[in-house]
Amino acid sequence: MPSNPSPVMNQVSLTINGQSVVAAAGTSLLNAAKAAGIDLPHLCYDPRVEAIGSCRLCGVKVEGMRGIVSGCAQTVAAGMKVITEDAELARQRKHTLELLLSDHCSTCMGCDKSGACRLQDYAYRYGADQNRFGVVLAKPPARNFTTLNKGILFAADKCIRCGLCVKYCETVQMAEALTFSKRGSQMVVTTPLDENLHETSCEACGGCIRVCPVGAMLDKAAVGKGRESDLTRVKTICPYCGVGCQMDLLVDKQRNRIVRATSSPDAPINGGNLCVKGHFGFDYVNSPERLTHPLIRTADGFRQATWEEAIGFVGRRLREIRDQHGPDALAFVSSARCPNEENYLVQKLARTAGATNNVDNCATSCHAPTVAGLAAAFGSGAMTNSVGEIKDCAVMFLIGANPTEAHPIIGLEMKRALRRGAKLIVCDPRKTWLAQRAHIHIQHRPGSDNMLLNAILRCILDEGLADQEFIANRCEGFKEFERNLQGIAVEAAAEYCGVEAELIRAAARLYALGKPSAIYYTLGITEHSCGTDNVKNVANLAMLTGQIGKWASGVNPLRGQNNVQGACDMGAMANKLPGYQDWSDPVVRAKFEKAWGVSLPQNKGSKVPLFITAAGRGELKALYIVGEDLVATEPNQTKVIEDLSKLELLVCQEIFMSETAKLAHVIFPSACWAEKDGTFSASERRMQLIRKAVEPPGEAKADWEILCLVSTAMGYPMQYQNPSQIFDEMVSLAPIFGGMSHQRIGDRGLQWPCPTPEHPGTPFLHNGKFTRGKGKFHAITFHPQKEEPCAEYPLILSTGRTLYNYNCGNMTRKAAVINQRDPGNFVEIHPDTAARYGIRRDEKIVVRTRRGKVTGRAVVGDRVRPDIIWMPFHFAEEPTNNITNDVFDPVTATAEYKCCAAQLEKL
Amino acid sequence: MSAPEQCRIIFRHIDEPGYSNDLACYVRHGGYEILKKSVAMKPEAIVDEVKKSGLRGRGGAGFGCGLKWSLLDRKSGKPVYLIVNADESEPGTFKDRYIIHQDPHQLLEGIMITCFANNVKLAYIYIRGEFPHGARILEKAIAEARAANFVGPNILGTAYGCEIYIHRGAGAYICGEETGLIESLEGKRPNPRIKPPYFPAVLGLYQCPTIVNNVETLCHVKHIADMGGEAFSKIGTPGNTGTRILCVSGHVQHPGYYEFEVGKITMGQLLNDVCGGPLPGRKFKAVIPGGSSAKILKFGERFKGKRKVGAEMVDYDWGVEDVPMDFDSLGMIGTMGGSGGVIVMDDSVNMVEALANINAFYAHESCGQCTPCREGSLWMKKITSRMVHGTARTEDAALLKSVADQIPGRTICAFGEACSWPTQSFLAKFGDEFKQYPETKKAAKPAGALELV
Amino acid sequence: MNLKLETLTKIDEVITHYPEKRSATLPLLHLIQEDVGCIREEAIEWIAQKLGLQPINVYEVVTFYPMFRRQPIGRRHIKVCRTLSCALMGGYKTCETFEQEFNTRAGPTEVSPDGEVTVEFVECLASCGTAPVVLIDDELHQKVDCAKAKQLAAQIKAEAKK
Repeated sequence: MPSNPSPVMNQVSLTINGQSVVAAAGTSLLNAAKAAGIDLPHLCYDPRVEAIGSCRLCGVKVEGMRGIVSGCAQTVAAGMKVITEDAELARQRKHTLELLLSDHCSTCMGCDKSGACRLQDYAYRYGADQNRFGVVLAKPPARNFTTLNKGILFAADKCIRCGLCVKYCETVQMAEALTFSKRGSQMVVTTPLDENLHETSCEACGGCIRVCPVGAMLDKAAVGKGRESDLTRVKTICPYCGVGCQMDLLVDKQRNRIVRATSSPDAPINGGNLCVKGHFGFDYVNSPERLTHPLIRTADGFRQATWEEAIGFVGRRLREIRDQHGPDALAFVSSARCPNEENYLVQKLARTAGATNNVDNCATSCHAPTVAGLAAAFGSGAMTNSVGEIKDCAVMFLIGANPTEAHPIIGLEMKRALRRGAKLIVCDPRKTWLAQRAHIHIQHRPGSDNMLLNAILRCILDEGLADQEFIANRCEGFKEFERNLQGIAVEAAAEYCGVEAELIRAAARLYALGKPSAIYYTLGITEHSCGTDNVKNVANLAMLTGQIGKWASGVNPLRGQNNVQGACDMGAMANKLPGYQDWSDPVVRAKFEKAWGVSLPQNKGSKVPLFITAAGRGELKALYIVGEDLVATEPNQTKVIEDLSKLELLVCQEIFMSETAKLAHVIFPSACWAEKDGTFSASERRMQLIRKAVEPPGEAKADWEILCLVSTAMGYPMQYQNPSQIFDEMVSLAPIFGGMSHQRIGDRGLQWPCPTPEHPGTPFLHNGKFTRGKGKFHAITFHPQKEEPCAEYPLILSTGRTLYNYNCGNMTRKAAVINQRDPGNFVEIHPDTAARYGIRRDEKIVVRTRRGKVTGRAVVGDRVRPDIIWMPFHFAEEPTNNITNDVFDPVTATAEYKCCAAQLEKL
Repeated sequence: MSAPEQCRIIFRHIDEPGYSNDLACYVRHGGYEILKKSVAMKPEAIVDEVKKSGLRGRGGAGFGCGLKWSLLDRKSGKPVYLIVNADESEPGTFKDRYIIHQDPHQLLEGIMITCFANNVKLAYIYIRGEFPHGARILEKAIAEARAANFVGPNILGTAYGCEIYIHRGAGAYICGEETGLIESLEGKRPNPRIKPPYFPAVLGLYQCPTIVNNVETLCHVKHIADMGGEAFSKIGTPGNTGTRILCVSGHVQHPGYYEFEVGKITMGQLLNDVCGGPLPGRKFKAVIPGGSSAKILKFGERFKGKRKVGAEMVDYDWGVEDVPMDFDSLGMIGTMGGSGGVIVMDDSVNMVEALANINAFYAHESCGQCTPCREGSLWMKKITSRMVHGTARTEDAALLKSVADQIPGRTICAFGEACSWPTQSFLAKFGDEFKQYPETKKAAKPAGALELV
Repeated sequence: MNLKLETLTKIDEVITHYPEKRSATLPLLHLIQEDVGCIREEAIEWIAQKLGLQPINVYEVVTFYPMFRRQPIGRRHIKVCRTLSCALMGGYKTCETFEQEFNTRAGPTEVSPDGEVTVEFVECLASCGTAPVVLIDDELHQKVDCAKAKQLAAQIKAEAKK
């Protein structure tokens, strides 16, 4: 299959310092020179930010052009002759640097940035004299907007006023928390009205720190903990959401500590951008709460055990249960936090030593409907496009997605697209950041997605906007699909959804006519009892308009966890073997049986929520969980605890004493993400390397090592030298990854499908042909949510993620910066609703559903509709999943986290 | 040779007894007749006349007005804006004030003709914040003109319409810079934009093609539309057509504003014959010919070279008094006609102190965006200020020169030139005074010398 | 924000002058300062809300321009031109005279002890031909030598007594 090229730019030839250089039209001289290995000095330029031109160091001479030309602002032209260094330019740069130094507190010996400071480098290169004009350093005020900040330190006396932090905050993060006040030599970086940064719209993304060319914006917690030269840079991938941001950890190897995190502008997906979790969220690695030794349950708690004892015990008990009760008595839950290699081993362990297909991962509670629905429609269930294509969308159609919080770097790309003039449609019951800036915001009621989608599909048909050629050539099942829509009336649908019909029509037109349009969705679509239907209907929308299989056009589920894509890729689910191969296909089975030297199990296997209920019924005896906290993340918590408590054997591989681990019989202490090698699959199907930065605490081991020990103890020996070996075995069995290896993945990653070692990887799917051949339309009938509001529970409760926290919170909540911004549970309430209940802003209140109650702080505002309330689920002490509804999608067993009936009470 | 007569075209009615700034008076004097004539023409024809006229911008740079208009991106399909630069803030310049106060409709008529010629539907007059009274007069004039159908929709019964609004600045010299002005008008900090890509003719106000013209320039457009480009080009001298308003301030007997054909009057005629010469008992020492950023001229220095007169090259050997007051002649002798603000200093003035005064102005007005200007203007101020107030050191003159020499050509906008030319030229022409200043400072001030910093 | 009805009407009018509301930032700042005397935090927030901006967008503009003040000043605002042409004709003496007359120091935030005036030494007022010039509130006074400065001061004091 040919790779799908992005739109190609014209190339021009020019000479720089006599050297012939070829660069794409539109490239700045600075970047053209950089690509040719010529470093033009620059302080105010950063690839993440549009050229500012304030430092005036990158000036060059261009034959035929008057005076000094800005290297960062001037673009290449054919035949240009550029000189970047001569005596005059050097003299000017020296002078400009001296001017900067005259106003810069140059105590390099006490600065964290020393050795990585461009001002310092250039001052050395051009021999700049710090005190040429006299010494008149004004002492900056002792207090500034970061004085009370937990993460960011602004050292005003080192600021060179290049404007990078301000421009980044304003135009990239679009947080508008930083600006300059005053003018001329008085000009100073500050916040709105000089207030504390953490009380502004700052999102703590750390971008100001990453772009600062000097030591003016610093990681506060890292101050004095090491300069660049004292630390080792380890390139790895962020352990949080599924965007797949590459980051550099700066590690003090001697003290075995991660000191700070940053990201390079050449990072493949994120281009050097990170969100608050990526930049500041690594404190948990060093947490004193980390598990350091194997633990075995005693009558009144746990006791420390040796590895030998714990492994021996678990191996024996699993063997016994398998042999006594058969394949459906034991189950394995793999971890979307763990790398591909470990996910591969979990499913291998289940299917070899465990002799069962009872293996699953947390995709079941989030994107299993995607995997099922998109596989049915297109043949594969993943983002059809890449993150890098977002900026080229003409129309973005978001439904049930809040990327600026849940997938912040994808959110950043959407902000970039908006700035480039893209149109935005957001279908979301909440006024999210993007919804507020959308050209069309359809604020439909939770659970009405299919009603809405059917209405949009109806409009497209009515107005003749369907792509008949695409439908005829590329798809099947259209007739039935069309017939099914005959009963749909847009007006009636609009009324049910609680929105204007005209808005639905406008959205249909805008999306259908976009050149190109792309759909982005998240758990607002999948976490419903009709999740798979929702996904199929999203796929219908793309096929009906031919908006798929092109650059910047397709259907894009944004994956929620760092490696949930990989957990699915690796076959950590009952019905798929690695690489989405069907477990029932005899040719596939034969291949695996030969490679693994076992007969593959015959049982159908089940899913996480059903494991839990099976445990409750006493049918499931043993559950082996790697790095998941089911108690915190599954709905109806009380019931989950009750069910899991009935297990004969619960084994957890964990980094913390999670709510689930508290119920375990044996706990193995694991190495966390920063303590091992491997690969993560990002949402855009890009496999990327994670690398070991620090040693695990105490006796903790990498999960793959633990899995090998357990398997061996169960009588199926597993031995690998390193994760790379595991990866090689995996690709030899999974054709869509066939061309990959750790070495090929390198620093740039590779996007599957990548079947051969020569294949460049695949930026977007379904180019010319769907994976399954023809795209399949599905006729979708609307089913309402399982729990409608009633007199006793008159509100709809919806749940989701905040920007700052992640899932059960056991990683993010160890970070001081995050706790400062998002300290505890809250409930978003519309002002009308709050007034009706007499609830005041910030008051602690109770939310009750049929399953129980939970408390939270009232956040009163119009982000939600009057008929709904919204809560995050990150806070173990106020567990929202205590009250969410444990009803499930019939295909994938995904729970209806997104809507249940609820009532508010004063505390 | 005595001075030529003033040629009052734009200032024809300024200070004329009985002439008021209301519409009725303007119409009585033939006002808006030229607009009526213009809207019957093809817009391109007006642009052609302006090109033919050779009119050069009166804001400072002397850029060809017709050429500026012809650079407009007319294919983008975006609206075209006109911004009238009435942010008169170059020290020594005070011409726009009188046009605005006494003859606002002349400006409005020029604006409307310019807008019609360039298919502009929306024009803004960016008036400096220190002209509150002027802003009110313009508001009233626009209201009158709108009521009389000279401004607004379907003017004079045509399909063409254009609105004019007043936008007040708030005390920032940098807003005189085209792109700084545009940023300010957009409601942002007036940091000049980086060029490329932000040339106003292509990516100006709201990223649309935009013309920025000076008040005086737009008044000229009215007269060009009246008399035709060719007739206008015969006024003044070749390449320096039309009239020029010269604003004289400082040490002369009769400071004020005078309108002459460009290049027909010399500096000597202007200062001696028109302005009555130096104050009693004093001698001219130096003059800044085009607003405070123009390089200073020292009485007694000579300028020699060849210049083009007609088709021939002829030798010239000028003293300051002999220099014709036109763009090209002033350019030839290393300074500029700039905004037409002539600041005269006599022998009571200490040049170190005068420069310290100017440097304080530029340091105060730097927007702060780019390094050489922000830090350089500050250091020029600090060094001259420490010369005057602190311990003057002999090496400071050299240091000052090195700061000034590294600013022009290195900054985002022309403020870099504006702030460094005074220092460069003061040091070049009066270097001795800077070297001797430590001694001068110890001595008593000459009688009548005023404090300047 | 307690704005006069007249101010509110003008604000609504002026916003219509621009295709993008943000452009109305400066006009609104002028109108509000003319109405309430200075630009306090609440004004910044009010303008931001009115124009669909963030307070930061207004704040960064307010702090750039010397004509906007963050706190109230004297009842009369005396701006003496400091720049070269006026200095050449005695601007510094004029300023000094006002300082002495009102027993105050020139500065944008200084108020005379009687609360009557704020004397400010400002940059070029663009009336260099009639130097030294002084802008008292909205009114320009020309050729203000020491004698005339004293006369103006006396007038202000007399008006204050009324």
